[in-house]
Amino acid sequence: MELIQTYLLPVLFAFASSAAFAVIYNVRGQGILVCATGGALGWLVYLLSAPLLQSDIAQMFAAAVAISVYAEVMARIRKFPVTGYQMVAILPLVPGGGIYYTMEHAINGEIDAFLASFLHTLGLAGAIAVGVLLVSSSVRMYQSFHLSRRGNRP
Amino acid sequence: MDYYGLLNLAADLGYGLLESGAEIYRVEESIQRLLHAYGIPRADPFVIPNCIIVSFRTPQGQTLTQVRRMPSHGTDVDLIERYNDLCRRLCREIPSLEEAQSRLKDIGQTRRCYSFPVLMAAYFAVAAAFCLLFGGLFRDALCAGIGGLATGLALTALTLLHANLFFKSMLCSALSAFLALALTHLGLGSHSQLIIIGSMMALVPGLSFTNAIRDVMAGDMVAGITKIADALLTGISVALGTGFALGLARVLWGV
Repeated sequence: MELIQTYLLPVLFAFASSAAFAVIYNVRGQGILVCATGGALGWLVYLLSAPLLQSDIAQMFAAAVAISVYAEVMARIRKFPVTGYQMVAILPLVPGGGIYYTMEHAINGEIDAFLASFLHTLGLAGAIAVGVLLVSSSVRMYQSFHLSRRGNRP
Repeated sequence: MDYYGLLNLAADLGYGLLESGAEIYRVEESIQRLLHAYGIPRADPFVIPNCIIVSFRTPQGQTLTQVRRMPSHGTDVDLIERYNDLCRRLCREIPSLEEAQSRLKDIGQTRRCYSFPVLMAAYFAVAAAFCLLFGGLFRDALCAGIGGLATGLALTALTLLHANLFFKSMLCSALSAFLALALTHLGLGSHSQLIIIGSMMALVPGLSFTNAIRDVMAGDMVAGITKIADALLTGISVALGTGFALGLARVLWGV
């Protein structure tokens, strides 16, 4: 029962929100399923890595890496640009809560709390960006390595 | 070869890609590949979020340049996929310029969109699912869904009125936050914070921030910095809108 509460339900909700975002960004057909699975996978990694990493910035980084790898693999299989899927799958990770609490502290005039949550939100967003970047740069490096070995340098 | 026609084709393809929200490097690469396939060894496309410049030298030594201005636009993954696919095909098959141009036009004209009710249902679902994800109850999810629906309706209406991006996100977030607080006041919702967070997720610029960082790292500094400024301003306007609603609720109901 606890397993369902802590893991299954959030993953299900992440799946639903990614699917809905996919519709808003005009993804069609099976692509919706691909995006939604990516969103669910990201959230699952985020939850599962909690005992290991114990910091939500590091967890966010792990989840972003997992989604990016998944998106790269799916893009190869389906022969479509990777970004569409990746963008939509990453959306559930976006720190909306952080932005809200930052704003609330700012309105209440709690400068210390405001700064703390602002920097934390920035850290979360940065962790996602770095995770995405790590995977896409690695893939690009691997591709150009392959090209240069075949002798036709780009 | 009609190099003016080729220049038009390349610029139109780039315009289509950028307008549907493709990344900067994809637009530049596609233009370069297309021109390469049609026999221009070296082309210099320069793309930033609201401008495309394509320039190349013909084998006769003439320099041709075209500048296209890009208005503000949304994201359409389906169109990106189709333009990208077309670019690959053109590079492989190298059809005549007329045929390539008509295929390009075809994509722009047969744009596939979800119907309005489906889109609004999606806005509802996004907000409700996020509210549940952050730990809201089912009643809260219902309220968040209503907020999300209002956001979707307001976004569509304001887009029709050509409101600018920042005003749009400010107004929409104020509306959804106010609805959330009103519904909580009426007793339908119980956690107003979670409802507000859920219903503003469709407006939060997390995505454009991530993309912006990516552009900066890829070396497209101008594009990246423009997008970071855009994301920060959008974030601030969402926060301002929500803050306005919170202040108003405090005056009205003293919560």
